[in-house]
Amino acid sequence: MHFALTDEQCALGDAVRDYLADRFALSAVRAVFEDLGGTGNPAQLWKAMGEQGWLAVCVPEEYDGLGLGLVAAQAVARAFGAGVIPGPWLPTVLAGEALALAGSDAQKASLLPAVASGALVATVALRGPAGRYDRSGVRVGADEAGRLTGSALPVDYAETAEIIVVAALEPGGEVGLYLVEPGLPGVQVTGLESYDGSVRTASVVLDGVPGQRLPGSSTAVFVDLLDRGAVLTAGDLVGLAREALARTVAYACDRVQFGRAVGSFQALKHHLADLHVAVTMSEHAVLYAAHALDAGLADRRLAVAVAKSKASDTAREVTAAMIQYHGGIGYTWEHDAHFFYKRAKREAYSYGDPIEHRDRVAAFTIDGISPTAVGS
Amino acid sequence: MDLSFTPEEEQFRAELRAWLADNIPPRWRSRSFWSAMPEAAAFELRRDWERRKYDAGFAGISWPREYGGRGGTPGMQAIYDAETQRAGAPHTVNALGLAFLAPTVMAIGTDEQKRDIVGPMLRNEVIWCQGFSEPGAGSDLAALRTSGVLDGDEFIVNGQKVWTTNAVYADKIFALVRTEPGSQRHSGISMLLIDMRSDGVQARPLRQISGASEFGEVFFTDARVKVGDCLGGVGNGWATAMLLLSFERGASGIVQYTAMRRQFDEIVATAATFGRTGDPILRQQLASRMVELECLRYHSMHVLTQVERGEDLGAGSSVTKLQWSHTHQELWETFDDLLGPEATLARPRPDTDLRAMQQEAMWSRSVTIWGGSSQVQRNIVAERVLGLPR
Repeated sequence: MHFALTDEQCALGDAVRDYLADRFALSAVRAVFEDLGGTGNPAQLWKAMGEQGWLAVCVPEEYDGLGLGLVAAQAVARAFGAGVIPGPWLPTVLAGEALALAGSDAQKASLLPAVASGALVATVALRGPAGRYDRSGVRVGADEAGRLTGSALPVDYAETAEIIVVAALEPGGEVGLYLVEPGLPGVQVTGLESYDGSVRTASVVLDGVPGQRLPGSSTAVFVDLLDRGAVLTAGDLVGLAREALARTVAYACDRVQFGRAVGSFQALKHHLADLHVAVTMSEHAVLYAAHALDAGLADRRLAVAVAKSKASDTAREVTAAMIQYHGGIGYTWEHDAHFFYKRAKREAYSYGDPIEHRDRVAAFTIDGISPTAVGS
Repeated sequence: MDLSFTPEEEQFRAELRAWLADNIPPRWRSRSFWSAMPEAAAFELRRDWERRKYDAGFAGISWPREYGGRGGTPGMQAIYDAETQRAGAPHTVNALGLAFLAPTVMAIGTDEQKRDIVGPMLRNEVIWCQGFSEPGAGSDLAALRTSGVLDGDEFIVNGQKVWTTNAVYADKIFALVRTEPGSQRHSGISMLLIDMRSDGVQARPLRQISGASEFGEVFFTDARVKVGDCLGGVGNGWATAMLLLSFERGASGIVQYTAMRRQFDEIVATAATFGRTGDPILRQQLASRMVELECLRYHSMHVLTQVERGEDLGAGSSVTKLQWSHTHQELWETFDDLLGPEATLARPRPDTDLRAMQQEAMWSRSVTIWGGSSQVQRNIVAERVLGLPR
């Protein structure tokens, strides 16, 4: 039994954290937060992601990747969450997963090395406005000729992406995945202001745009891709939650009121202890879900739903406590707490919110629907 | 990540499964079988079954062979914990002795104590209970007042213990006694091994909110205990108790997970017969319970990994306790919410007897108290894990 990261996986996560702490501290995050007109993808940071191999983690080795899988990728995602790191790492990695899962050899050969090196910014458009993160939420349709019409939202970093993987309902009822170049006629990308300044996002409207189908795509691959997005987002959330908890504990040790550190009061202590338990469980859940997808375990969809719902709820509670236990200063723009709070909220709703994932848990465990069945 | 067990461990699983299948009558799996039986009769049945389990070689799984154990790995212990729960095996009658006293005796007992205590316990020839809590010493264990006054080569013991599991069935008690007159707090305490049948020792059952009487209280009135029946040295009782409680840290939560996973299905099945599994809010609540249950399962694999690596779990065991105990409590609150008014009735329909499930639901109020209340566990996590000031 080895339910833990390998030494190499630990070292990878630590290396990302150390690098970011040195070169992209919260002061740099703040600059991105306060430059809403910018790309949200500082050039030096993106260059580093390529050079350090962080974009290559999931790309198969034959396409110049590291082929380490999601267990390693979630270690990277945790470090990004802890640092509230901006940039299109997650959507680019996910687009690479779509290519690896369903792309033709030619598509993989032409695009995956660029994903791995950081030469290409890519993103995914898997959900329509106000939809769920499942087949019913797709608002793009494909016709027989592969022309795409409809809309998707939010599509992170669509304004800077050079390629978008679009999910579309096909005439036969399957969900297909299509590569779309944002510069084509009929593609309308509109930036959307988000209160989470650590991301840039957009809506994408398509009107008869020719898409390049990934030949291996299917509803099952689409569901798998969403699960991968959910696990990486959950990884970001637990990294963020662990860091927010550590910062709150540190402040509670320093802040003196009534002649003593406020962290000595049980009113804070007991809640912070409960949050430690919740963060610990969330970490286990993300690790298990990532492994379940890597290893193709029978309960992988249940594991993803457990991990995403637990990590989302936990990160929201921890970041709310972070503001509360910092007192008045925690509610100011100049304090960093709101970076954590806002990102936690956005990510809690991304790739399926806790209610949607608990619906799946209920289906698997109350109704007895097999977690290996392809969900709608 | 490698979530597999070794071939030897899987072989052990197969043998254990086969034995359990042959030796647990199907009717034992029903709650009503046990709840319909008088407590004393149920205790004897469990005692006898466990004795047969010993004879078959399935006792003391990870204990050394020299003590009558199987000499197995931590993985085999985890498999045992899961498989016995899955099969609906009767609960052990010697829980506190097996979990706490035996490993302590093996670690620091005299040769005589090792010989006289461990084997007979495994064979259920001697049932042990634990005498720690007192009316004035619950969470604050160091406030204990039961006294032992030296008289020749014996202590004369006076005082009261309470919330003592199996008090009325136990043959012996391992009790914390203040043997140094006038001593305060953690000093001057000894762990005495006392015969429950000796003069001056009286046990009485305590009726719990569930109606059952697993607990009891023990009164000592000039009970005489030989100085040699002290574990870990006279005056060294606090350190002995801390060592003893540290063996709880091997507990990964797998027993609780496996038991609760069965309870979840039992609750869903019962609610389904009342047509109460379609409500979207209740489904969300049930799903939340499953989320916490699955987290406990992953956590137990994490703990087993630590145990196999020989890591000290330390205050992490408080995390395990908080997770499983509150999950248990919320699971059974959800059972009540699912059934609504019917949840409060012994027989809401002629074909449905809910009393055994209601007992489990009532029992859930105790799990956040015994073994260190949640408030104490949170202090431990806050101070020893997070480093918050006292």
